[in-house]
Amino acid sequence: MAEWRADACEGVTQLVGDQAPAWDLAGVLPTETLRALGKQGLLCAEVPVEYGGIGADSSDNGAFTAHVGSLCSSLRSVMTSQGMAAWTIRRLGDARQRQEYLPRLTGGELAAVAFSERDAGSDVTAMATEIRADGDTVVVDGRKAWTTVARYADSIVVFGRYGDAGAAVVVPADAPGVTIRPVPNPSGCRAAGHADVSLDAVRLPASAVLGGGGQQLQLLVTTALAYGRISVAWGCVGILRACLSAAGSHARTRRQFGRPLAEHQLVARHLAELMAAEQAATRVCEHASRCWDAGSPEMVIATVLAKYVGSTEAARGAAAAVQVLASAGAQDGHVVARAYRDAKLMELIEGSTEICQLILAQHAVAQSR
Amino acid sequence: MVQPTLDSVHRRIRGFLEERIKTDVAVDKDLFASGLVNSMFAMELVVYLEQAYGIAIVGEDLKLDNFRTVEQMTSLVLRLLDTPVADRG
Repeated sequence: MAEWRADACEGVTQLVGDQAPAWDLAGVLPTETLRALGKQGLLCAEVPVEYGGIGADSSDNGAFTAHVGSLCSSLRSVMTSQGMAAWTIRRLGDARQRQEYLPRLTGGELAAVAFSERDAGSDVTAMATEIRADGDTVVVDGRKAWTTVARYADSIVVFGRYGDAGAAVVVPADAPGVTIRPVPNPSGCRAAGHADVSLDAVRLPASAVLGGGGQQLQLLVTTALAYGRISVAWGCVGILRACLSAAGSHARTRRQFGRPLAEHQLVARHLAELMAAEQAATRVCEHASRCWDAGSPEMVIATVLAKYVGSTEAARGAAAAVQVLASAGAQDGHVVARAYRDAKLMELIEGSTEICQLILAQHAVAQSR
Repeated sequence: MVQPTLDSVHRRIRGFLEERIKTDVAVDKDLFASGLVNSMFAMELVVYLEQAYGIAIVGEDLKLDNFRTVEQMTSLVLRLLDTPVADRG
């Protein structure tokens, strides 16, 4: 294990303490906590050292992401967004843009990434947000929906149409024409700062368009989402670990009909299934991260597989954990109650379960003669 | 490593396509118009070329036109191999 990871896991455990239930109930994370983690480079640990980052590989950052996910999925969501913003800037930005933006993301600023619109969720081609060149400036117009972290963000990486092609542009959250409206009472990751973002004639220097724009929109989105997916997948491993631990300890100590719950066979089956789910999700995530670390093209499909297995197993596992804890866990804020709501949301975002299935099926077909 | 040539890069990319999508493609065939390649596979191509040739394809080089045909991917690879790392956008 990398040294930074052991320290980081311990630090986050202390920082979160027993506050995750209260954050969930209030639907908000303390900004100073986010900035403190951001300044240590922990919200986007894979950013190279030359930009003030930790320079973690995907395997180590994944394990760290799982740890944070076991404590608080809202906080883990912030890591997913910040990491995705950093990854997008690393891939799509030019040398000057990497130099300008990445040190800010490892220096305490917070970033969101805006894809979805009311009429363009899975269907990226329906995206209506427009980035228009105007001299040495660009003008951004659009309505983004359900942008994670937007409520806390200093900047938002916005995807949109750019002529016949696409572009991603870095928009300061306080630029004139930007309006951020928090989504009231989201059902999962309640404190992750989901918000709708309106962009009304937002004028920015052309240098804010990553790589000058004009790339294919779907390739841009696919590239950015790859990081989001591996991060969500590892976050789901964390959800499963939290559920396994809570269900295991409850089943060992709670007694009914004269013996511990764990000795009732139908309860024992839930525990076995939870353990199998946690192990399966861990292994597919480890494989995907190894593909990232080796620079293997298999990373693309391995990441979709990890997100699919992680989120579906987490949703099932969290439901089993609630079943085992019953009234002891059926209260908002409780670790398994949060897991139940958070895991379901993980099946919806970063490519729904059904979209992941379509991608996996296409891959299977393409590989068959 | 032996300096890659036009022919060797053509061969290698066609070999990867053959392995992954079980199709022998002509070097000037439009992979996107023909429906052989979607954005997921385009990203695989990006990562494959990076790994195979030790190059970084970032920023403006991610334009789809660079991946439309085997010929265009080959000129991208040869151009990036010719550019010192420090000068890359």
